[in-house]
Amino acid sequence: MTSNLSRRRFIKGVIASSAAAATSSAWYSAAANDRPAGAVERLVTLNVNGRKRPVDVLPQETLAHTLRYKLGLTGTKLGCNRGECGACTVLVDDINHYACSMLTHSVRGRAVVTVEGLQRSSGELHPVQQAFIDELAPQCGFCTPGQIMSAVALLKDNPNPTREEARQALAGNLCRCGAYDHYLNAVERAAKSLRAEGQIT
Amino acid sequence: MSYLHIGKNFTPPDIYGKVTGRAKYAEDYAVDGMVHARLLTSPMPHARVKNIDASEAMAMEGVVGILTAEDVYPTEAPAPALLTNEPVFVGDPILAVAAVDEKTAENALAKIRLDLEPLPFTVDPVDSLRPNGPSARPEGNVFSEREMKAVSWSADDVERFVTGREPTAPAAMEWSYGDLEAGFDNAEVILEESFVTTGYAHMSMEPRSVLSYWQNGKCHVHGSTQSQSFIVPFLARMLNIEQADLVFVAEYCGGGFGSKIGAYPVLAIPGYFSRKIGRPVMLRITREEEYYVGSARVGFQGWIKAGFTREGRVSAVDLYIVQDLGPNSTGGDASSAGGAVSILYQPDAMRLRDVPVLTNTTPRGAQRGPGQNQIAAVFEPLLDKAAGELGIDPVEIRRLNAPDSNTTINADQGPITSAYMEQALVKGAELFNWSERIRRSGQRNGSKVTGIGVGQGYHSAGAHGFDGLVRLTPDGRIHLHSGVGNLGTYSYAATTRAAAEVLKCNWESCIIHRGSSDAHLPWSSYQAGSNTTFTHTRANYVAASDLLQKMKRIAAGELGGEPEQYDVADERVFDTANAARSLTYAEVAAKAIELGGEFSGETYPEDIHEVTQRAVQAMAGSGLIGVAKDTLPVRGTVPGLTVGFAEIELDLETGKHEIVDFLAVADCGTVVHPLGLAGQLRGGAVWGFGMASLERHVYDPQNGLPANVGYYQTKPPSYLDVPSSMEWAALDIADPDNPVGARGVGEPAMGSATAAVMCALSNALGGHLFNRTPVTPDVVLNHLSGQGQSAAPLAINTF
Amino acid sequence: MAAHDVMPDIELFQPVTVEDASAIARRLEGRGWVLAGGQDTYGWLKDRAKTATAMIDLGTIEALSGIEETADGVRIGAMTTLRTVSRDPLIRERYALLAEAAGKVASPQIRNQGTLGGNVAQDTRCWYYRRGLSCYRAGGNICYADSPEGMNREHAILGASRCVAVSPSDTGTALVALDAVMVIQNGGSVRRVPAAKFFVGPAVNITHMTVLREGDILTAIELPAAWAGAEHYFEKVADRDVWDFALVSIAAAFRTSGNAIEDARLVCGAVSCVPHRLNAVERAVIGRPRSEETAESVAGLASQGAKPLNFNHFKAPLMENLVKRALRS
Repeated sequence: MTSNLSRRRFIKGVIASSAAAATSSAWYSAAANDRPAGAVERLVTLNVNGRKRPVDVLPQETLAHTLRYKLGLTGTKLGCNRGECGACTVLVDDINHYACSMLTHSVRGRAVVTVEGLQRSSGELHPVQQAFIDELAPQCGFCTPGQIMSAVALLKDNPNPTREEARQALAGNLCRCGAYDHYLNAVERAAKSLRAEGQIT
Repeated sequence: MSYLHIGKNFTPPDIYGKVTGRAKYAEDYAVDGMVHARLLTSPMPHARVKNIDASEAMAMEGVVGILTAEDVYPTEAPAPALLTNEPVFVGDPILAVAAVDEKTAENALAKIRLDLEPLPFTVDPVDSLRPNGPSARPEGNVFSEREMKAVSWSADDVERFVTGREPTAPAAMEWSYGDLEAGFDNAEVILEESFVTTGYAHMSMEPRSVLSYWQNGKCHVHGSTQSQSFIVPFLARMLNIEQADLVFVAEYCGGGFGSKIGAYPVLAIPGYFSRKIGRPVMLRITREEEYYVGSARVGFQGWIKAGFTREGRVSAVDLYIVQDLGPNSTGGDASSAGGAVSILYQPDAMRLRDVPVLTNTTPRGAQRGPGQNQIAAVFEPLLDKAAGELGIDPVEIRRLNAPDSNTTINADQGPITSAYMEQALVKGAELFNWSERIRRSGQRNGSKVTGIGVGQGYHSAGAHGFDGLVRLTPDGRIHLHSGVGNLGTYSYAATTRAAAEVLKCNWESCIIHRGSSDAHLPWSSYQAGSNTTFTHTRANYVAASDLLQKMKRIAAGELGGEPEQYDVADERVFDTANAARSLTYAEVAAKAIELGGEFSGETYPEDIHEVTQRAVQAMAGSGLIGVAKDTLPVRGTVPGLTVGFAEIELDLETGKHEIVDFLAVADCGTVVHPLGLAGQLRGGAVWGFGMASLERHVYDPQNGLPANVGYYQTKPPSYLDVPSSMEWAALDIADPDNPVGARGVGEPAMGSATAAVMCALSNALGGHLFNRTPVTPDVVLNHLSGQGQSAAPLAINTF
Repeated sequence: MAAHDVMPDIELFQPVTVEDASAIARRLEGRGWVLAGGQDTYGWLKDRAKTATAMIDLGTIEALSGIEETADGVRIGAMTTLRTVSRDPLIRERYALLAEAAGKVASPQIRNQGTLGGNVAQDTRCWYYRRGLSCYRAGGNICYADSPEGMNREHAILGASRCVAVSPSDTGTALVALDAVMVIQNGGSVRRVPAAKFFVGPAVNITHMTVLREGDILTAIELPAAWAGAEHYFEKVADRDVWDFALVSIAAAFRTSGNAIEDARLVCGAVSCVPHRLNAVERAVIGRPRSEETAESVAGLASQGAKPLNFNHFKAPLMENLVKRALRS
C-alpha cells in the first residue's frame, strides 16, 4: 500500500506530524484546580526513611520527582526517567521499584526507603554500602544508589544468594561503566557481613 | 621497586558520597530563585528556521524567558552549535525556554510555533558521496584539513566501494610509509575485505544537566564533565567572560567515555540564559536529549587489504575508511585506527586513506578508543583468517607481530616509550589455558557451538606538560591539588599518590582538593584518552619533588648544612648525618610562611599555566607550596596495550551467544591502583561486548529520524549480557618515561574485548567474517539460514 | 521536537471498587486512562505522545490483586504483579508456562510494579508510533514502518494489515496457549473473553490492540484446569536478556498420553500484532511424540505465510527454530 510512497512525501509526513504535535495543545491547559470530585487529595503524608513527611503532591507526580525535588533526597537519580536504567531504584515495602515509574500517590501508607535511609543512626554505613566501598564497586557512581537499593532488596528477600541469583536480582540496574563484576562482588561481601551480624545479635 | 602507596589499594574519598547518595551531581544542586529551562530541538534532520513565534508561550503564567541562537556564542560550522537557526540533525537544539518549573516550561514549548524550511539531508556517508548525493551542510559534505568540501564520487566509485572492491575514489586524507607493493609481493596470503562499524551513542548514565547562576560578577556553572581544570579556559571563552570570572564545579561526573571531555555546547546555555533573565537556570537534560546532544562514536565504512608472509608476519596493509562524522567535526578516528594497525602489527608498509563525511545524525566525538577499537573489531578476525590459512595458531600469529619497546608507530614511524605485548600474550595464554581451549573451538553442544577468541587493544595512553600543585600547611597536612576530573576511574586520586610517594607521608595526612575551579586547582590534562595515569603521576611527581627540595632547603637553612644532606621520613625532614636534627612537616610549613617568596607561593615558576598561577596566587602565604610544570623527558607515544581472551557459546538457533569466560591482560606499566585497574579492564570489556554484538545507531533514511533515543533501543549491555565474573592480570613492568612506571589502559581494554568476541564468533562459525559491528542475533540467523543480510552492504546507521 | 519527560497535569482517581472505576472511565468518555502498573503508561504521557484528562488507578482496588484456586482452575486478579505471578507456588506448580513468561518480562523492578493485566493490555512498541507520528494506529493514514526504506527489524511478518506493529506482551502468548479467559467488567456487567479473542489485529481494529473499550476493566485472568500441569516450553529471544522486548518468543503447552501429543498449543510473540497461534503446527503434532524428529518435520509450518519486511527476514527461521526447541522433549 505504501510501497510507492516517495521520499518527498515522507519528509512532508514527519513535518506535518510534528507541526500537529506543536499545536494540539488544548489538553495541556487542563489545570489541576478544576479538580473533579473524588480525585486524590494533594496534601499527603509519606513514610520516607522511617520518617513521616507531609508533602504537597500533584496527582500525576512520580515518586522520583517527589523524592528529589520536594523532599531533597537527591540520592535517587534520574538516569532515564523511563524505567530503562534503574538509577532511581528505591524500596517500597522492602521491594525494589523504579521511583520514576510509579506515582507518589500510590505509596501512601507504604514504607519508602531511599539510599539516604540506609545509614544507621550511629552514622555507621549499612553493610551493603560498606561492601560497595570495599570492593571499589562504583565507578562514576551515578547508578550506585540504585544498585545498592536492589542489593538491599535482594538480601532482605534472600540473605544467602548465589552469584547467579544476585546477578538476576540486580539485572534491572544498568551500569554504563560496566562495573557489574564489582557490584556482584560487593553483594557477596555484604551478604557475608550481614550473616555475620545476624549471628552476633 | 617497592612503594609505600603505588600499587596498593586505597579508599578514594569521593566514594562515600557515591554509596550514601550525598554525592552531588550537577542536577542535584538547587539554589534560591532557580528556574527551569527546557530545549526545543529540531524535528527535522536539516532545516532553516524561518520564524519563531513564541508570543503565546511568553505570555503564559510562570514562563520567565526564551533563549535563541542570537543570544549565544556563535560556533563555526561544522562545530556543534549551542543553539541554532540551521539545525543539522533531529534533536539539534534551536531554543530554550525557562519557567518556574519544568512542567510549565514544557507546556510553553508546545505553544511555540516554528516555521522551518526543510533542507537536503543524509544519514549515510556513501549516499552523500553518490553523484548528486545530498550534503549534510550547505558548505559541503566532507570535512578535512579544517575545511568543508563538496566531494562527489562517480557511480562506478560508489559501486566498487559498496561491493567490496578496492576503492578508486580519491581520499581526502592519506598517509603511508614503506613500499606497499613490495609488502604485498612478499605476502604468502593476501586478504581483502570491506567492513562497516556502527557509530553508536555514548549514553552515559548521567545526562549532561547544567546549573548556572551569576553572583558578584562571576558565572557559576555546575556541570557534568570528565575534566575539571581543562574545561575552564574553553567554557570561559564560550561564555565570553574572563577565566577568573568563571566558577566551574564538577565534583562528580556520571560517566563520559569521551563524550564530556571538554566544554561541550550545552554547558554554556544556562550561563547565557541566567545572564539574560537574571535568575539561576537549571537545564536538566532528558535521556532523549542526551541521545541527541550526548555524542556518539564515529562510524566506519571501509575496505582493507592485508598481506601476510609465510611466517605470519604482516607485510603490508592498505586501509581505506569512509568516516561517518555526524554533522560535526572530529574525524580523528580513521587516523587513530591507522595508528593502531601500525603499532599492533607493524606492517612493513602501510597506507591509510580516509574520507571524513558529514551526515545529519547525532554529533560524533571521541568514544572510548576512538578509531582503535573499531579497527580492532575488523583487523583481529582478519588476522585469525590469515593465521588459519597459514596454519598458525591465533595467539602465535599475534606473538609474531607483537610490539616491543623498539616498535614504531604512525606514518612517521615514531618511537614509543615501552611495550611488552608478547609477554602479555604469553601470560594470558597461560592463564586462559589457551592451548587446551582452542581445541574445543567449533565443538557442538546441542544447538550451541563453542568459539574461542583472542583480541588485542591499543590506545595512545599518556600526555605530558601539565602542572602539579602540592601544599604543606602548618597543621602538618599535605594538600594534593588535583585539576583532574572525576569520571569514575579514581585516577584523580590515584595519581596524587605519586606525590605522597615522593613525600613519604601517610595517606591519612593527605587531603585531596578537587572538583571546583574555586578549590585552587592546577592546570591539568583533559581527562580522557586513558592519559591521566601517565600524565598526572608525572605532574604530581614534579610538584612533590619541588616541595621536597624546598623542604630540604628550609631544613638546611634552619638546622645547618646543605639541602642535599637532608631526607624525609615519617613526615619529618632530617639530616641524614644526624637524624636527631629534624623538623616536622608542620614546622617546615610554618617556616615557609615566614620565609615567603617561592616557598609560600608569593612567587612561582614562569612556565606554569595561568590556571595554576591563579591557584597559587590564591593560596600564597598559607603554607609551603610545591608547584611545577611537567618537563620530564618522554621519548615518544605512550602505548596502552591489552589482550582479551574469550570463550563463547553461540546458539545457532537463536543467533545469540553467551560469553562463558573472559580474561583481560594489561601491559600498562606499573600497576598504580589494582582495584581501579580491575574496574577499567572489566568495564572496558563490557563496552567491548556492547560494541561487538549489541549497541546500535539506527536512522530512517527517508526522514532522518533516529529509531533509538532511549536505553532499551540503544542497548548498552546489562548484567545478563556479560559474564558475571571476569578475570584480569597485569604485567606490572615499569615504563621508563614515567616516574612511577605507569601507563594508561582504559580504552584498549574495550578494543581487545570487542576483538576477542568478534574472533570467537568467527571461530564458532568456522572462520566466517561478518566484517561489521554489531553482530546481532538477526545477522547471525540471516547468515546461518543462507537468506542474505537484510541491510545493504556497507549500509550504516541501520540495524 | 521537544524531548519531554515530565508528567503533564493529569487528574488522578483512586477508586476502591471496580464499579467506580468503570463509572469514572465512562464519565470521562475516552479521556480517562485506566492505570494498572503504569509501566507502559508513563512513557506515553511524559512524551505527550498520548494524552488523557485523568488516570484511573486500579491499584487501590484490593479485589483486583491475588491468586486463588477456583472450581475450574486458578483465577489471577488482573492487578497481581508479574513478580507475584512468576513466584506464586500454585502458578509455578500448575501453570509454569505463565510463571516463566511473567519472569521474563522487562526487568525485576518492572515486574515488581507491572501487573499481569497491564502486560496484556499494553500498547505496541513500534518506534514510529511511539514517537507520536501520525500513523494509521495513531489515527493517520500512513505506516512509516512499512515504507520503502522503513526501519522495521522488530515488526510483523504475519497478520499485518496497513499497520505492521507487533504485540509486545510476553505473558499474552502464554495465556493464549493456556486457553485463559479474560474477565472484563463494565459497570455492573461482566463478560468473559478467551485470551485468543482478547487480542485484536489491525484488520479488526487498527487503533486498539485488545477488545478493551471505554469503561471496560480487565478484572481477572482465569486459567482452566484443562491445562494445569501440562508439559510446556517458553522462550523469549531478545537482543538483551533484560528490558528488551522479544524479537520472537514462543509459549507452548502440550497434553500428552504415553508418548503422544494429544493436544498442543504453540503461540509466537512479536511476529504479529497479536500472539500468533501456530495452528498448522498444532495440528501436525497431534499423535506424535515430542522429539527431534517431530520438531524437524513440522518446524517449517511455523512461518508459513510470512511476509518479511525490509529488516525482519530473520524472524521466520527464528520462529521455526523456537518451534523445534519447544517440540524437543
